[in-house]
Amino acid sequence: MSPDQSNDQTNLLQGTLDMMILKSLALDQMHGLGISRRIEQITKGTFQVKPGSLFPALHRMEEEGWLVSSWGESENNRRAKYYRLTKAGRRQLESETQRWSRISLAIARALEAS
Amino acid sequence: MLSRMTNVWRNIFAKEKTDRDLDDEVRSYSDLLAQERIREGMNPQEARRAARLHLGGVEQVKEEVRQARTGAWLDSAFQDFRYAARTLRKNPGFSAIAILTLALGIGANTAIFTLTYAVILKSLPVPNPQQLVRYTFRSGTQDLGLSGPLYDALRKHGQAIQDLLAWTDSSLSVQENGAVTSVDGALISGNGFRVLELQPVIGRVFTDADDQPAGGPNGYQALLSYAYWKDHFQGRTSAVGRSLIINGKPVTIIGILPQGFEGVVAGERADIVMPLSFEEVLNDPQPLRHHPGSFSLTVIGRLNPGATLGNAQSNLSATENSVRDEADPSHRFLGGFFAAFQLGVESGRTGRSALKLIYSRPLIVLEILVGMVLLLCCANTALLVLARVSSRFREFAVRSALGASGRRLFQQVLSEVAILAFCGLMAGMALGWIAATSLVSVLAAIGQPPPLDATPQAAVLAFTTAISVLSAFVAGAWPASRASRVAPIVGLKQNSAGSSSRALGKWIVPSQVAVSVVLLAAASLLAQSFFHLRLQDSGFHSENAVMAEVDLTPNKISETVATRDAQRIVDALTAAPGVDSAAMMSSPPLKGWWSSSHYYSLDHKGAVHTDLQIWPEVVSPDYFSAIGTPIREGRAFNRADATAAQVCILSESAAHNFFPGEEAPGRFVYTGGSDASLDGKSPASPENICQVIGIAADARFESLREPPERAIYRIIPQNEVGPDFFLVVRSSNVAVATSAIREAVRKAVPGAPEPTVFTFDQLVAAHLHQERMLTALSACFATVALLLTALGLYGLLSRNVIMRRKEIGLRLALGASPRDALVLVLRQGLRLIVIGGAVGLVAAFATAKLLGTLLVGLQPSKPLLLIAAVALFFAVAVATSCIPAWRAARVDPMEALRYE
Repeated sequence: MSPDQSNDQTNLLQGTLDMMILKSLALDQMHGLGISRRIEQITKGTFQVKPGSLFPALHRMEEEGWLVSSWGESENNRRAKYYRLTKAGRRQLESETQRWSRISLAIARALEAS
Repeated sequence: MLSRMTNVWRNIFAKEKTDRDLDDEVRSYSDLLAQERIREGMNPQEARRAARLHLGGVEQVKEEVRQARTGAWLDSAFQDFRYAARTLRKNPGFSAIAILTLALGIGANTAIFTLTYAVILKSLPVPNPQQLVRYTFRSGTQDLGLSGPLYDALRKHGQAIQDLLAWTDSSLSVQENGAVTSVDGALISGNGFRVLELQPVIGRVFTDADDQPAGGPNGYQALLSYAYWKDHFQGRTSAVGRSLIINGKPVTIIGILPQGFEGVVAGERADIVMPLSFEEVLNDPQPLRHHPGSFSLTVIGRLNPGATLGNAQSNLSATENSVRDEADPSHRFLGGFFAAFQLGVESGRTGRSALKLIYSRPLIVLEILVGMVLLLCCANTALLVLARVSSRFREFAVRSALGASGRRLFQQVLSEVAILAFCGLMAGMALGWIAATSLVSVLAAIGQPPPLDATPQAAVLAFTTAISVLSAFVAGAWPASRASRVAPIVGLKQNSAGSSSRALGKWIVPSQVAVSVVLLAAASLLAQSFFHLRLQDSGFHSENAVMAEVDLTPNKISETVATRDAQRIVDALTAAPGVDSAAMMSSPPLKGWWSSSHYYSLDHKGAVHTDLQIWPEVVSPDYFSAIGTPIREGRAFNRADATAAQVCILSESAAHNFFPGEEAPGRFVYTGGSDASLDGKSPASPENICQVIGIAADARFESLREPPERAIYRIIPQNEVGPDFFLVVRSSNVAVATSAIREAVRKAVPGAPEPTVFTFDQLVAAHLHQERMLTALSACFATVALLLTALGLYGLLSRNVIMRRKEIGLRLALGASPRDALVLVLRQGLRLIVIGGAVGLVAAFATAKLLGTLLVGLQPSKPLLLIAAVALFFAVAVATSCIPAWRAARVDPMEALRYE
């Protein structure tokens, strides 16, 4: 999970990558590159995920039972491995989201207080 | 959890497929990325390059995924095991020696532990065996059963216990297809199975209603053991309800006992169990159930819930006096012959075991010795592995330079040892089982089935596995930690290898020497004790004599008839061709019989000498010439004595006891009634007075380990014998004597059971089998120890010679003689032996002390035998050192210098 560290890009906090992947798969199934692009898109380029972080995370999450994968055809007729959320994955996304909003709220308050 | 298991499964066993899949996935990612770039207007070649660049190393990505997977650790362990197995296969010599060494140690431990478990540790196969307590009646090492009245009184007074059962083993005569066979049986009180909480496989067990005179209204009922039921009734349910004729009485089978239950006395199996009241049939016409002087019941109780053994003990000591009063109001027995016996209560978890009393201490000794052997085996394996590790230092150095972690190298060496230990475990288990089976058959009495179950038990398997894991760790941890600390730089320096093996050898080899010396000393001590017992004067000089037990009990004859039959058999034997002399005796020597009587005398000074524990032996006239006990004074019996007034012969110690400092022949001894009657000058009736005609040498009837009993010999037929008596035949030929005995018994007593024939030597061998077993086993262990130590020393010195080849060559080139090279190596070997030997000798004296406290009757060590053993050891060790030393002397200086 070592994210890019170029100028305007931000270090991914521990556990954020999992949440990003779950979030990006919330609507539809996607292959690895698609997930990576989607994360860039929803964070407006703040986060870029490199394959060295992405694939280990995907495989780990698949073993946790949050994702399932299957081989399919990409937009331009290329073979690609698609990932899709399971029920457990959706539950995980929910709890991660709640946890995350609690944390960000707390941090925002802490910063305001000073 | 399940999904995690399948993940592990997939990651390890479907590894190739998962890897291919990953490869495809990464490649497809790269393709898609390149496509994207092409769409953005990059030319295809550049786009593919950019994609690869963005990906970083394909292999690194894949490796990171693999690391993230479950079971990454297992995977590397698996890899190590495969690699280790391959390496070991490539070095079959090393592997075979290491496996054999471990198998020896593990096998020996398995065998001894199998016995220890069966004799000492195994619980009765009943629910909650820890609640059971056993009541004992013992004096020193004599552990008698309880009498019927004692059992009744204890049952009445027991407070901490729910109930008490009584059990006694007895052989039963079962009529089967017209023939009568003897079956191992037992009697149990009606409440017995309630106390044991044992349920039958089929049918029902006894209740109090079955333990009635004549077996209650429906006659006698019987239970069968599972094994007997399978054997004789092919496990058919219809066996229940069938009828058997046992000792002439019809009995009905009412149930089958659960598998594995063979009774409550270890070493005695019960195939048919009858209610205790059946005793009236067995001992007809003199039942002993209520006799205060017949001690044959094993009494086991179950504690109240929450009660402890301590409660039962304090309850017993509080009530002991009233129990004794009730059981024997006249105190004739409990206050007389058995005054020295104490009631006690102990844990009954393992039931009663005759073997336990005899063998538990020898087994502890064997466990200690065999533990030392295992230690030696581990040390040898450690030396072997260490030697291999140091010869592979370069390999380890290269691997560590290429990034293998120390932990990984440690794991690697340990995997090799683990494989060796696993093979050793398998071989050792087989070896141990074979050894245990043959040991158990050695324990069997003459002509009897093995007394113990030596089949592998879960507990034994667990023990064996545990010691294997332990030995793998002991033997592997040291070499493995050496390997894990190899610095990459070592690989570049060729000659530094092996220094560690020499440093460790400094400790391991002397320790081996020390342990071997201790084992040798123990073996010599045990052997010496055995030979002392074997060769001492037993009082019998009957090395060529053949003996036989004639048991006419099933014929239900009176003592008068038994005496007449004995007389007839002896007469027939004496007339038989090839028989030099023949006699009968009432109580056999060295067979565990215990017989005691009460006599008194009046010396010249008017003092009464009473002997409450004199061994009464009733014999036929030729007894002394047949058994070979010499007559010291007076004369032996002759035929005329049999019909004249009562005469007797005393043993030397008995004569000394009755007539201290006086001539015994011609004097009188008395029995029956009370010695007080002598004061009134009105001695007992004529049959209770007998005149001493001779004095015989002392003889050891009960045990060769104990001092001889005082004995009084009287003759038949004035003195009667029971229906179970013994014959002694002196003849030039065992076969002739054997057939003469069988022929005489058949002719003199038609319908008598076949006598059991054995030689006097067999009798002594069986009597001393505890010592024999200890001697044989400790000698085996000592030999193994000697070989292992020699092997370890040889390996170490040989390696040193190989490693110092260049140095030795240089010395030789510079003018040292081959003799100097020889001395160089020999001196190194000797130093290891002397250091170890010195430590070993000190430890050997401590061991001798320990053995002396553990084994009753162990003779104090004679230094001569110990010195001989140690000298033997030194000879072997020096001879072993000579081979590498000789090789060192033959190093060719030129070859050694070219070696570089």
